[in-house]
Amino acid sequence: MDTVFGVEYEGGVILAADQSNARSILTYQSNLDKITTLSPSSALGVSGPNSDLVNFSEYISKNLALYQLSNDGIQLSTHAQANYCRGELAKALRRGPYQVNCLLGGYDKSTGKGSLYWMDYLAALAKVNYGCQGYASNFCLSIMDRDWKEGLDQEQAVAIVEKCIKELQVRFLISQPNFVIKAIDKEGVRTLKFGADPSDN
Amino acid sequence: MFGPAAVTTDVLDIGTRQEEDKRRQMIASGGTGAMCASNFLGEPAAFEVPNVADPAHFCRSNFASACGAADSHQTVKFAKGTTTLAFKFNEGIIVSVDSRSTQGAYIASGTVKKVIEINPFLLGTMAGGAADCSFWERNLGMQCRMYELRNGKRITVAAASKLLANTVNSYRGYGLSMGTMVTGWDETGPQLYYVDDDGTRLKGNMFSVGSGSTYAYGVLDNYYRKDLTVEEAIDLGKRAIYHATHRDAYSGGINNLYHVTKDGWKKIHSIDVNEMHYEFAEEKKNAMSS
Amino acid sequence: MARRYDSSTTTFSPEGRLHQVEYAIEAINNAGTCVGILAKDGVVMASEKRVTSGLLAPSKSSEKTYKLCQHAACNVAGLTADANILIDQARLRAGRYEYQYSEDIPIEQLVEHVCNYKQAYTQYGGLRPFGVAFLFAGYDQHHGFQLYQSDPSGNYSGWKATVIGANNQSGKSLLKNEYGATPEEKDDEMKVEGAEEETSMPDVNKALQLAVKVLNKTMDATASSPEKMELFVMSLKDGDVVHKILNTEETKKVIDEVEAESSAAGDS
Repeated sequence: MDTVFGVEYEGGVILAADQSNARSILTYQSNLDKITTLSPSSALGVSGPNSDLVNFSEYISKNLALYQLSNDGIQLSTHAQANYCRGELAKALRRGPYQVNCLLGGYDKSTGKGSLYWMDYLAALAKVNYGCQGYASNFCLSIMDRDWKEGLDQEQAVAIVEKCIKELQVRFLISQPNFVIKAIDKEGVRTLKFGADPSDN
Repeated sequence: MFGPAAVTTDVLDIGTRQEEDKRRQMIASGGTGAMCASNFLGEPAAFEVPNVADPAHFCRSNFASACGAADSHQTVKFAKGTTTLAFKFNEGIIVSVDSRSTQGAYIASGTVKKVIEINPFLLGTMAGGAADCSFWERNLGMQCRMYELRNGKRITVAAASKLLANTVNSYRGYGLSMGTMVTGWDETGPQLYYVDDDGTRLKGNMFSVGSGSTYAYGVLDNYYRKDLTVEEAIDLGKRAIYHATHRDAYSGGINNLYHVTKDGWKKIHSIDVNEMHYEFAEEKKNAMSS
Repeated sequence: MARRYDSSTTTFSPEGRLHQVEYAIEAINNAGTCVGILAKDGVVMASEKRVTSGLLAPSKSSEKTYKLCQHAACNVAGLTADANILIDQARLRAGRYEYQYSEDIPIEQLVEHVCNYKQAYTQYGGLRPFGVAFLFAGYDQHHGFQLYQSDPSGNYSGWKATVIGANNQSGKSLLKNEYGATPEEKDDEMKVEGAEEETSMPDVNKALQLAVKVLNKTMDATASSPEKMELFVMSLKDGDVVHKILNTEETKKVIDEVEAESSAAGDS
């Protein structure tokens, strides 16, 4: 049901996710923030059941914090974080069902670039320039294929995401009234826009 | 052999399958399998699971009642069918519930207490399996009391609801059936959380759970304001339950309503929804004639 | 009574000492010398090869230098048999890290892992500590080229230049005088700290010469020869880490350069 977008641009990544939680025919909430900050310069957008989503992103972010504490403040690169996520999910899958479809966005000081990793619930990992999780991918991947190009700036990347959101609201059966859009770049992780304030609970 | 960094498997356990693993180990080592290996008081592991090879599968096929008509050919039918609701407003939190318990088309009880008083500052509500809810919320009450004794202060609602979510999460796939709201007042003010059997835990301003919840939401969403007075809020909680019981055959009986303030919870009333029906009908008649 | 504390690694003596650990450290001080020097463009390690018998088949590639992974290597002083266990540990750790993160392990983490392993043997009962000291040379994205030394107690520290093994004291004092000094200002003690020091780091060639010089001093052999020392250089080529153990001719060349320089200095 959930929708997560990611678009890489020159010097950063945009992550966006819908803000709804629903069970059977009922929407419980539409002001959630499904994009977890993993480290000062990376974030994870997850689609899947709330419990798996919370479990997984908490487990990963706490372990990354532990890594930083036990290694003199050194931070893992986005590439390493993505591979770590993959490994841990693959391990967890051997113990029982687990449903998390992620997009990991991060910024690396060493390269001055943002990068985006796509991972499905079977722990298949791929580095991508743009990506989408959920039913929304049926509508939005073509838009991204059409519009994405090397060297976008932040506004252009956000514009692509907003086009995708608009398409969903026109063509998608399920109502996803609100989206949160975040940018990850040299300034860290910050929220650019949201449909409904996640802190208003 | 020892290693400086002895990482045990449970550290790596994201998907909390610990119970299952523990049982498998027990069976492999020649245990009877009827009891969980550890029996710590207050630990989730104190819960006994069926004495069969695959308890998760056994529970699923015999007790699964979480979703829709899955229990139509079950041997054991659970008591369920509910409307519960809770919302935050400027003067605290209102918790309002019905009292009907059904087993299929049969009304098993009309006087169920669906608000569980965990402690003077914490309330839990009950929807889904009555046994599951009361068992695990009493268990939560014990964990909260242990927290209080260990730390010399009351547990926050956030932490209490997380305890419940973690417990429920470790029995995911065992066919538990519960949709509950954990509310209370702690050092951070009024708090409202929703926790259900698939481990979902949400923080929010307003929730309604149960078969009648859609009806309750209809009334709540239209008449809710943050700045309701206490009287207005009580009236809203009461009416939302009434309208849900009116339309939902699986809800009914008595409306129990609680108000949570900084001094803890207070029970406001227990009114038969049948009386409400005539009260509101009268009210409508008067409004039309005037 | 004192003997009582000699045999147990895990028991403190009344003076608050762990004798076995101290003896192990002492054993290192008689082992073949190893010199490590951090250069601008790499790390250099030089080690003494002790020729025990002419009949012994010389090792095919290296005797004292071990590659741990693509971006780290070490020199061994002490019991080679013990060292092999630790080197296996280090290689395993580096491999596991790469498996987990598909990225190179930071050097300090690798060193710390080996040292934690060593430390355990100074604490858990009935075991002898590892009689090994290491020099670790490595490169990572966080801190570039690095040089560490470790001892049997599990202590480790990072250095610009250091010596372990026999006569390490005299080796260190030579390094103290000559590391970062140009020939003209060798005796000038009024050096500016910080940025100045950075620029006065030697390049790999200078570092090799300095390392040979230190070995010449610690080995107290009359004449140094390529058979008696092993020279190792780690450097970058096109962004990749390159390991190189100098062959006989190359080693000879460095030794000759050092000799030429010292005789020139002696003349002036």
